[in-house]
Amino acid sequence: MKARDWQAVVAGVGGQGVLFVTKVLAAAAQAQGRPLLISEVHGMAQRGGAVVSHLKVGRFQGPLVAAGRADLLLALDPGEAVRNLAFLAPGAALVVNAPDLGFLSPQARAALAQHQVRAVCADASGLAAAAGAAKGANLVLLGAAAAAQALPWSAGALAKALGAGQPSPRRALNQRLLELGRAAV
Amino acid sequence: MAKDRRQEILLGNQALGRGLVEAGVQVMTAYPGTPSSEILPAVAAFGRERAHPPYCEWSVNEKVAVEVALAAAYTGQRTACAMKQVGLNVALDPVMSAAYIGVIGGMILISADDPGPHSSQTEQDSRLLAHFAKLPVLDPDSPAMARDLVAPAYRLSERFQIPVMIRPTLRVCHGRQAIRLREPKEVQRPAVFVKDPFRWAAIPKMRLALHQGLNAKLEAIAAWVSANKSLNLWRAPARPKARLGILASGVAAALARDVLAELGQPVQEGAIPFLQIAMPYPLPLGPVQELLASCGRVLVLEETEPVLELLSPQRDRLWGRGSGHVPSAGELTPDVLGGVLERALQEARVRVPRPRGKLLSVPDQPPLRRPNLCPGCSHRAVFYALRRALPDGVYPSDIGCYTLGLNQGAVDTCHDMGAAITFASSLSRVFQRDGRQVPVVATIGDSTFYHSGAAGLVNAVYNGAAFVLVILDNETTSMTGMQPTPESGLTADGHPGRAVNLRALVQGCGVEWIQEIDPYDLALTRRTLRKAWRQARGGSVAVIIARHACAAQRPAEAMPVRRPVQVKGSAPVVKAVFDGRQHPCIDCGRCLAICPAGALSRRRKGLIQVDAAKCTGCRLCAEVCPSHTMALEPAGACVGCGLCLSWFACPALKPDALGRVRVDRAWCVDCGLCVEVCAHGAIAPQEAGS
Repeated sequence: MKARDWQAVVAGVGGQGVLFVTKVLAAAAQAQGRPLLISEVHGMAQRGGAVVSHLKVGRFQGPLVAAGRADLLLALDPGEAVRNLAFLAPGAALVVNAPDLGFLSPQARAALAQHQVRAVCADASGLAAAAGAAKGANLVLLGAAAAAQALPWSAGALAKALGAGQPSPRRALNQRLLELGRAAV
Repeated sequence: MAKDRRQEILLGNQALGRGLVEAGVQVMTAYPGTPSSEILPAVAAFGRERAHPPYCEWSVNEKVAVEVALAAAYTGQRTACAMKQVGLNVALDPVMSAAYIGVIGGMILISADDPGPHSSQTEQDSRLLAHFAKLPVLDPDSPAMARDLVAPAYRLSERFQIPVMIRPTLRVCHGRQAIRLREPKEVQRPAVFVKDPFRWAAIPKMRLALHQGLNAKLEAIAAWVSANKSLNLWRAPARPKARLGILASGVAAALARDVLAELGQPVQEGAIPFLQIAMPYPLPLGPVQELLASCGRVLVLEETEPVLELLSPQRDRLWGRGSGHVPSAGELTPDVLGGVLERALQEARVRVPRPRGKLLSVPDQPPLRRPNLCPGCSHRAVFYALRRALPDGVYPSDIGCYTLGLNQGAVDTCHDMGAAITFASSLSRVFQRDGRQVPVVATIGDSTFYHSGAAGLVNAVYNGAAFVLVILDNETTSMTGMQPTPESGLTADGHPGRAVNLRALVQGCGVEWIQEIDPYDLALTRRTLRKAWRQARGGSVAVIIARHACAAQRPAEAMPVRRPVQVKGSAPVVKAVFDGRQHPCIDCGRCLAICPAGALSRRRKGLIQVDAAKCTGCRLCAEVCPSHTMALEPAGACVGCGLCLSWFACPALKPDALGRVRVDRAWCVDCGLCVEVCAHGAIAPQEAGS
């Protein structure tokens, strides 16, 4: 079976680990031998500004995702979800670090439903903080995305991509964070 | 034969560095600048795989970097030099002559452009400067193509004895792609300097002959590249009598192919002839003429200026910036390209099987997020102290993290590297000639000062300018990723360097009044700023070196003592009161100068009027009033005046729904600096156990 082309946008605020999450997704794609392209943000925007990265897996040539073409928007911050909603393709998945969609207006929620967006909410920051790893919200959210089948890989493949090259205490913590996300959806 | 090795996901800049190491670069120089900064570290890191690693240096500026790489290339070595596009402006002087005089060993000049712009002052197109300087320029569309262009670029450079520019854009530099690594090539050419004064020291008369030779070279290069497979041009099968063809280069070419596929007209199927040019200058005309012969119209897609468009024949048949089909500013994102391509296809009557659908659109507004200095950054302390100490000043600043002093109202100009000092010398001069004493205080980072501050400072001292210069010295180049400065004495590849003392350099520029302070001592910083201005207004340049470790690079050194803070509750809104009857006004004007809200005005001698609608109740007027005329008791709790938000602008201080400030624990690093900011005493050290 020919693997499907897949495009994702990862959004957040400087310091939340947007680049790290994108690299983990890329490692999972590479483990399957899929060609991939990433575009990321460095420099001034990293100083507390909005950070977004694009990942395209499959037969693509350019690194940027067009509006209306993303299969997944993974938002580490609800405000950054709002900023990047237009990337979502009809029927795409929105995975957001928020307990529910209460951060959106009723009109916005209706628009999501009409666009047939599958929304997955997880309070990743809360869960990570409760686990004593506040910086790990990005991995909790990634675990939630995998569990909700918003990624073209199984949770196991993702865990393997994340574990590669990590020392074992780090690896154990990362697995625990992924598992927290999995349990949250 | 080089055997294929492991595949790695590389950043575009790492891919360029990999390409340089694989092609045997011997001398690598650079000055950091987004989006080019990761190239030199990649050369240093990959270079360790070779038995003879390349020499790598962070040069003090781009002009120096080009000259160091150039002279080594004169001796037959393979060299390279990397910078961002505005750095190329700094380096343009040696670059112009480099084309005439040429090289022996290959030299690659990488100038990284920033369409958008995302991290730069301009959207300038380095390909135009390559054209201006008469240097061949290559325009990669991806990290993989960038790596693959390096070896052919060296062959081109050495065959024609001319430096070759590679012009990646930000999406190449900060793109990532899986790249199969090749065996690094061991190039061990000895440095041989063959004396040839008619070439290396050519006088103007000989330059004419060199110019004529250069023109012939460029024609030969265009012909050679037309026939050369390794500098290949990407093309879709030409179909005779197509209505529309596309001529493109760089990332715009790659993205246009994705967009065309999404519109249902994939280039591979050949309905739309597509020619991607790897070398926009000198433009290989043959393939362009072929394309023009097979199509009715040709749409030109390139960033950011019309280079292919202006160099192509039959310009009246092109659609591009000249015809208004392509916007003349901004990045060619997939969305911009989608609009451009849909319009062009429709006008040329080519079918669009899958036009762009309706986008998800919501009325909700995303939060406004401005880039900001890190929590705990000592620059924030300097800018706050500056507004407090010399509130009626003019503040020229410069290029670096500290440009973000904008958020605190403490940066009035930001132009190009080093301009803080030259602007300050000019502004102080024109104010002085008008008979006005306006405190002019320039701020510049340490790396920027080494880059191009010293010449301006010598000029200011020599010509008797009168201003205060604050050198924000965190001993690193923070904005671009913590590259070492000459003051650190650390070098890019670990070769022995020697620290250049900043104070001694400033002294050497002729400055007599120099004070070194730690800006974490806010009271001292304010006092020193006032002292410096008293010194400077007499007709000299007073320099403060504000030294503190970078909070992002060395947090433990920057914040050896953690001082957690709290906001002590909320209080009602308050307003300042003019109490001239009890405490007569002495007309000093300090309240007028400091009021952040413009709420105070002088009605007549000894009478200040408070505009209650404008007054935020920040209490600064009461704090600076020597005669107790401006009256407002400290509330001991947050009154919602917003002073800390605007003048201190720390990302850890945020207003709640009622405008009262709270500490966002997710951002706060316990630097404790904000305690001294609130004139109401609302921000206080956390009590033990709380």
